[in-house]
Amino acid sequence: MKSLRRDVSSNPQAANVTSKVFVRSTKSGKVQKIVRELYLRQDIPCSSKLCSLCPSIAPADANGNIAPFILSDRPAGTKAFPRGHYLVPDTNALLNGMDLFEHTGAFYDVIILQTVLEELKNQSLPLYNRLLALIKTDEKRFYLFFNEFRLETHVRRGPDESINDRNDRAVRTVASWYGEHLRESSKNGKKEKAVPAIVVITDDRDSLRKAKDEHITALSLADYVAGLEDPGRLLDMISESKEARDAKGAARGELFYPEYYTMSKLMTGLRAGNLHQGVFNVSPYNYLEGSVNVAAFDKPLLILGRDNSNRAIAGDVVVVEVLPKDQWKTPSTKIVDEEAVTQNDNPDTEETEAVVTDRERKALQEEVKKAHGKGAEGKPQPTAKVVGVIKRSWRQYVGHVDPNSTGSQSASGRRQQMVFLLPMDKRVPKIRVRTRQASDLLDQRILVTIDSWDRNSRYPTGHFIRSLGELETKGAETEALLLEYDVQYKPFPKSVLDCLPSEGHDWKVPASKEHKGWRGRRDLRDLLICSIDPPGCQDIDDALHARLLPNGNFEVGVHIADVSHFVKPNNAMNLEASVRGTTVYLVDKRIDMLPSLLGTDLCSLKPYVERYAFSVLWEVTPNAEIVSSDFTKSVIRSREAFSYEQAQLRIDDSSKNDELTQSMRHLLHFSKVLRQKRMDAGALNLASPEVRIETDSDEVGDPLTDVKTKAMLETNSLVEEFMLLANITVASRIYESFSQTALLRRHATPPPQNFEDLSSQLSKKRGMELDVSSSGALANSLDRCVDPKNPFFNTLVRILATRCMTSAEYFCAGAHSESEFRHYGLASPIYTHFTSPIRRYADLLVHRQLASAIGYEGEDGHAVIEGVSTRNKLEDICRNINYRHRNAQFAGRASIEYYVGQALKARGEKMAAGGVDAGIDEEGYVMRVFENGIVVFVPRFGIEGVVRLEDFVLPGESGACSVAERRELAAHRTTEFDSEEYTLHVAEKGHPEKERGVIVELFQKLRVNVSSVKEEGRGAGKRRVRILVTGA
Amino acid sequence: MAAQRQASSASQTPHLSPAELSYLYTSLSLPKTPIRPDGRSTTQFRPLTAESNILPGTNGSARIGFADGTQAVVGVKAEVEKTTVAADTLDARGLFQQQESPAAAAGDREAQEGLGSAAVSGHGSWVQMSIEIPGFRDDDALPVFLSEMLRESLVGAVSGSGGEDMAGGLKGRLVINKRWHWRLYIDVLLLSQPLSYPLPLLSLTTHLALLSTKLPKLKSQGEEDPLFDDDWAAAQYLYPRSAPGSTAPVTTSQQVRPPVTLLVISVADNVIFDPTREEIAVADAVLAISVARDGGHDGLKLLSIRTIDPPSRLTQPGVPNSENVNMLANATSVDDSAAGGATAVNLATGDEEVSGVWRPRRGGAKRSVLARMVKTVLRKGGVGEEVLEGLEGVEVE
Repeated sequence: MKSLRRDVSSNPQAANVTSKVFVRSTKSGKVQKIVRELYLRQDIPCSSKLCSLCPSIAPADANGNIAPFILSDRPAGTKAFPRGHYLVPDTNALLNGMDLFEHTGAFYDVIILQTVLEELKNQSLPLYNRLLALIKTDEKRFYLFFNEFRLETHVRRGPDESINDRNDRAVRTVASWYGEHLRESSKNGKKEKAVPAIVVITDDRDSLRKAKDEHITALSLADYVAGLEDPGRLLDMISESKEARDAKGAARGELFYPEYYTMSKLMTGLRAGNLHQGVFNVSPYNYLEGSVNVAAFDKPLLILGRDNSNRAIAGDVVVVEVLPKDQWKTPSTKIVDEEAVTQNDNPDTEETEAVVTDRERKALQEEVKKAHGKGAEGKPQPTAKVVGVIKRSWRQYVGHVDPNSTGSQSASGRRQQMVFLLPMDKRVPKIRVRTRQASDLLDQRILVTIDSWDRNSRYPTGHFIRSLGELETKGAETEALLLEYDVQYKPFPKSVLDCLPSEGHDWKVPASKEHKGWRGRRDLRDLLICSIDPPGCQDIDDALHARLLPNGNFEVGVHIADVSHFVKPNNAMNLEASVRGTTVYLVDKRIDMLPSLLGTDLCSLKPYVERYAFSVLWEVTPNAEIVSSDFTKSVIRSREAFSYEQAQLRIDDSSKNDELTQSMRHLLHFSKVLRQKRMDAGALNLASPEVRIETDSDEVGDPLTDVKTKAMLETNSLVEEFMLLANITVASRIYESFSQTALLRRHATPPPQNFEDLSSQLSKKRGMELDVSSSGALANSLDRCVDPKNPFFNTLVRILATRCMTSAEYFCAGAHSESEFRHYGLASPIYTHFTSPIRRYADLLVHRQLASAIGYEGEDGHAVIEGVSTRNKLEDICRNINYRHRNAQFAGRASIEYYVGQALKARGEKMAAGGVDAGIDEEGYVMRVFENGIVVFVPRFGIEGVVRLEDFVLPGESGACSVAERRELAAHRTTEFDSEEYTLHVAEKGHPEKERGVIVELFQKLRVNVSSVKEEGRGAGKRRVRILVTGA
Repeated sequence: MAAQRQASSASQTPHLSPAELSYLYTSLSLPKTPIRPDGRSTTQFRPLTAESNILPGTNGSARIGFADGTQAVVGVKAEVEKTTVAADTLDARGLFQQQESPAAAAGDREAQEGLGSAAVSGHGSWVQMSIEIPGFRDDDALPVFLSEMLRESLVGAVSGSGGEDMAGGLKGRLVINKRWHWRLYIDVLLLSQPLSYPLPLLSLTTHLALLSTKLPKLKSQGEEDPLFDDDWAAAQYLYPRSAPGSTAPVTTSQQVRPPVTLLVISVADNVIFDPTREEIAVADAVLAISVARDGGHDGLKLLSIRTIDPPSRLTQPGVPNSENVNMLANATSVDDSAAGGATAVNLATGDEEVSGVWRPRRGGAKRSVLARMVKTVLRKGGVGEEVLEGLEGVEVE
């Protein structure tokens, strides 16, 4: 039998058509063979300004313009490449050295291959996004070359060739093509130009060898960097490459951690329900204790010890397996700090290390003992171990070098050594960093990233990125804080500023009503509108008015800055705002979501000028029954901008009877009725430990006078009530129009078990009951939690109750059923954010949706569709703004904490007598009791702090000791901890007299001495606020 | 009705006159050296063109064209599917725990093979076949009958109880683990009119397509949910082949090949392979013989024999002169002895055979002829091996 095969090679079309074949596994379990045809072209430019050929062949856009060429015609040279060079990195070079490529000192004119970009995307999404950002910026001159689509550089995978080999070959093919192409094009050119060298950067030994054979210049990343200026600093920025790690691991051969399960095993387990997936959280008090909330159980699973947490870092999405029942334990009742336990580890001598040091083991054993102790509170809880990591959420961490780890030779200069980096975030383990500049890095805030955490290493390995500045300097600490909470603080790029109105500050509401800006806007300039905000507020989002209608009812209006008029969808400003998500308020700094021209001027509803607004108008009866509501875009002129105090004074001043004051009095009246209604419906009055800091007070006085607890005036609640009302009204309106895509905000009902601890603590210590069956019931029972002797007690309970709840979140209406829309805290069936579009992106989106819902067309008629968005897109946005919102809160709090510390320090320095800071005496309340310490809340400064054994001033002792002296004391202290009664008895070891001890219990009011001390170890530079318990 | 009957029968009968039929029959039935119209020997196949992997979107595909102009394309697609029967009987939890200890895994594997043979040996319904023939509806008798014939030999053929035989069956190869299997969709498309009975063409094309079929490489182990390598180049042949040029001894599983079904006819005592349409029209018996190479031993294995309704029974009979009224009128003097001498009872027709006069065949073949047919196919170096080797020679990549 004879068989013939059709000859494809004779087909002239075959050369520029090829296909890419791969297997795709879908989420639903389907496995498909995918074939993609590739049509190869020859009009993809090299994008070098040297090239004389490409400008004529590059494809032009509709206007006949070709994309500007990126690669410089005079690229930078080095010693090795005096005529300049273009870089062609392979994927591994980018994986190991992304920080280098981002560095502004070197790495210009880089050709990024499509092949490399795609490979990077598969390996690391964060790095991929960073690379994309690099390609977008002009100054670094990164050119994305679509090599797979260009006929000359397309590489067909040979038989038995691995994908890696093929991709390496693609990189080399491009390098040699570029070389040839540039030589050829410069030959054609009139003037003789020096052709830059094309340098392949690869760490693959095989590829380096092949490049040599093919006469292509190729260097490893380290070799290339060594030829640049300041190689020491740059070399530190290279991740420890996989090969080096492997070599080391093989040499040592010791494995400290169990291996992760294979992906398929994890998937099978997850589907079968015997493995669970969740986010790994670490207790802020005990770094060895983690927990994972999983969908299958109401309570989180405990993960105790390094062994079980198995290289997971706080925030990672992990898969856990429940441990057998005999290994179940209670959550720890002890404060365990990493630096206290592992102080003596040496980062270089890895041979001696075990995953669980003896000290750690001892710390754990003590907990187990307790767990097997007694009754209800000591009931063992299910524990689990991490068996796989689905997604690492490693980011860049801010910290400082542990001075103990630098070793004695630190002075000896540029020698490379391992140091430990102590991250600011206590939940993150110390990071082993290889550096050549250890001595320079001491006492600096530095930024590092984690590269890997292998089974053979007790701590994760990372590399240095950059230094933020000296510890405890304001600049470094502020930047550290912003980095730590992932706040985008860089100035707005030009592309964003280009989106601003060209008139700048001179922009005005058009005078003529015929102007297109007036289209669809109601003229509300004659209304007596005013705004009430915190003092010094520049970004005024909202303004109010009330007036009597002829029929005896009132018209109440809430007017919100019309940001959506200035921020159009699909431009750079909108994108930037959606990424930032929210304005972040620090004590002395505001990181704006929108450029300040808009935020503080054009959008801001400043008094005496006309501004565009989005108004919600209600007709209400004198009893605050809402008759009707109306929404409209408008033009307003605010009559006055009050601060809360000013407004309060004006209302209380009975001599003033002008219309504006009257209308404010009406508003106040309505707000009280509304508030009562809301409370009757079961809204919660929650408390958070907030203090406000007024920075503009004079320098001479006591710095602490700046720290003020937030006073609640009636006018605060006036504004708040109307904002809530506006938000609720708008929420139902947009939900009516967009049943799937309305952007809403919900606060999920917390599961009752969240309150279990607090509930049992209350009933044990105070005999009070907490009814958590509904928000109303909870509100009532919170109201009953009053201690006549201790007026702050109620607030304390509220703070604790707030912590038991879930946090509110933005969501898209289609993501939940209508019954899940409820806002638990506000007891409202539906809610959204509408009233602060200057500082929250969610509100801006809601504005667009509402405008679309009421049929507002805008200047160009596009507004109707601007509000419409797909659900997927909205859900992405929700995820981001929820995250940003949370981080903004954390950053704000951390900023206040830092400021309080600094204020205490400043005061301490001023008041210091005899070199010892006397501190300041305040009232404090016990929030939590541990076996070896307590957590105390100091309302005056809104701070809470851990009080360790040594910080108890026993009767008869002097409180004025330095930190070092006190530290000595810890060893002499003995404690008796009663987990049932939440009491801790601290006494001096071996002291016969019983009265030389202190007994503290939960909720107790204490006299404490607050001072700021320079913290050692983890929080260094942060000025730990030290709290001394001076008396019960 | 006539068309229907014709369709179900071996092929459309060519429009040959009884005299032509008789002539053809006579030359084919010459003892020892039958003369075929195209001059081939009895076991000689017509030349064909074949190529595989012609459809990039499929897991495997092939096209074969016979010299008479008939052409077929076969595409094989595979899909992962959950084994429902097994999921009921097996406790997934238990399975998972079993896998916990890697030390016991090896022992487990053997135990598993003993257990739950239903899940291990596969199920016939995992192979789905559809045949499209121009001019026929998909529920017409011919496509249904053909697809069942092909599927049956593919799936059920090697269904012995021993593990050894299992290696050859297709369905056994589709098992991924106890809870998962592949489902195979074989789509057969006849590109031309069914000029001759399309069975051999379709069978050969299917065989070739299966030879070129690859399944994504499994990355997961044991009873885990399957996870596959996304590199298509790493995909593995459904029927593993020995690498060209490698001198490694060929393992049993590498020898196993999917079955082919050959069409054989008998004319008098002669056995003729690869019959043309005209040859079928005068066949005494038409047989479809399915063979496959089994890993167990060197030779071929007979999977099935099916007789096919010979179209010759539908032909118009010729009228002998003795019965021809016209002839009787003017030629009564034709010598009786000549006619009488030639008359013999033919087995196949049951009628008196008059030399040179066509009688429709009634089917049936002598036992010895059947035996010879099978033997010719299975014999070492026989027709079966020749065909398989020929197909093997088609470059797969």
